[in-house]
Amino acid sequence: MIKVVNMEKSYENQLVLKGVNFTVQKGSIYGLLGSNGAGKTTLLKTVSGILTQDKGHVFIDDSPLFEQVQIKDRVVFIPDTLYFFPQYTIRQTAQFYKNIYSCWDESRFLKLNEVFEIDIDKKIHKFSKGMQRQVAFWLAMSAMPKILVLDEPLDGLDPVMRKKVKNLIVQDVAEREMTVLISSHNLREVEDICDHIGILHKGTIILEKELDDLKSDVHKVQVAFKKDVPSNLFEDLNVLYKEERGSVLLCIVRGNNTDIMSHFKTFEPDIFDMLPLTLEEIFIYEMGDAGYAIKNILV
Amino acid sequence: MFDLDVRSRKPIYEQLVEKLKELIMNDVLKVDDQLPSVRTLAQQLTINPNTIQKAYRELETQGYIYSLKGKGSFVNATVKSVNIEKLEKVKKELVRLLTEAMYLGVSSQELERLIADIESSLGGGRSND
Repeated sequence: MIKVVNMEKSYENQLVLKGVNFTVQKGSIYGLLGSNGAGKTTLLKTVSGILTQDKGHVFIDDSPLFEQVQIKDRVVFIPDTLYFFPQYTIRQTAQFYKNIYSCWDESRFLKLNEVFEIDIDKKIHKFSKGMQRQVAFWLAMSAMPKILVLDEPLDGLDPVMRKKVKNLIVQDVAEREMTVLISSHNLREVEDICDHIGILHKGTIILEKELDDLKSDVHKVQVAFKKDVPSNLFEDLNVLYKEERGSVLLCIVRGNNTDIMSHFKTFEPDIFDMLPLTLEEIFIYEMGDAGYAIKNILV
Repeated sequence: MFDLDVRSRKPIYEQLVEKLKELIMNDVLKVDDQLPSVRTLAQQLTINPNTIQKAYRELETQGYIYSLKGKGSFVNATVKSVNIEKLEKVKKELVRLLTEAMYLGVSSQELERLIADIESSLGGGRSND
């Protein structure tokens, strides 16, 4: 379990994280989304004990983590810019990991070679970006972490490898309740494996929810009337966004599926279409609410 | 066993519930058959195990499956409620199609004739209640 309480962090005099609170339950996969420069990487680095927070607390299974070797032993962090020792082969790096992580599983490491199909005696820095990322996953999964923290993990991996990597993560979550914290702004990448989503914006979490609830809670409705639009159409509805596209009304409504449907049906629209939102759309509208709207600027 | 559309707008757990219901309703999964374990399914579909757990819980509260501690989940004998639900679905679909047909100018006499045809082709032996 990861628990972050009122955490603040600043670099020099720039406040990056302004009181972040969130919890990732054991065995859960938490997707941390956020605008560019929202503080995602800083948050992840603090959670994995690389940086120390200025205020507040970070707990891993109820104990603080910073400089606590026995806790950090079960935490693995894959940063967005990977670092390997220069001139080291995979085998040598694995040896290094083995000395650091007490739960290192050598047989698993050798078995995973079948998944990654990379020559174990080659120097890592000679590999391409995508292959280095594979090596990072390979090493991380062999260290049997209880907590896995991933910063933009699938960047630079091809679709087959993405699927393989996701599959490995999911298996570890199912088998030994590994806790995973993933940051990404590529929402489609994380949509299928996360169960909880948090949106970080300007240093605070502005939304945190179970992904399925989030998806079934907000709907996109398209209605059109031959006659004039009834004036009381939006009464008693929680409308997040409204737009007229010609004669078609497009709106984003929060609420129960059947309630919304029956509400609109009473006005007998000529065209009625209701869809759940994709994570991408949820992100855009929620961010719009937070003053981070898409501005269609013509250039 | 089946595939999900992870890019779909529908929540994955809803899709799972529907897919499994479909399999149960169509007797692909028979009464007392064991459902795949959360682990296997997570691995096969590459989706979050918690989502599968949630879907199984939902199916259990709806009475489609029952679970035995340490053994897994099994299909429940709930033919009746299953059929009611299926009937509801078919009726809804029918209403939609009939509305469309009427919009396109099919008269109710024509529709009745169609129904009569279908009835006779089904064997016609059933009473018309």
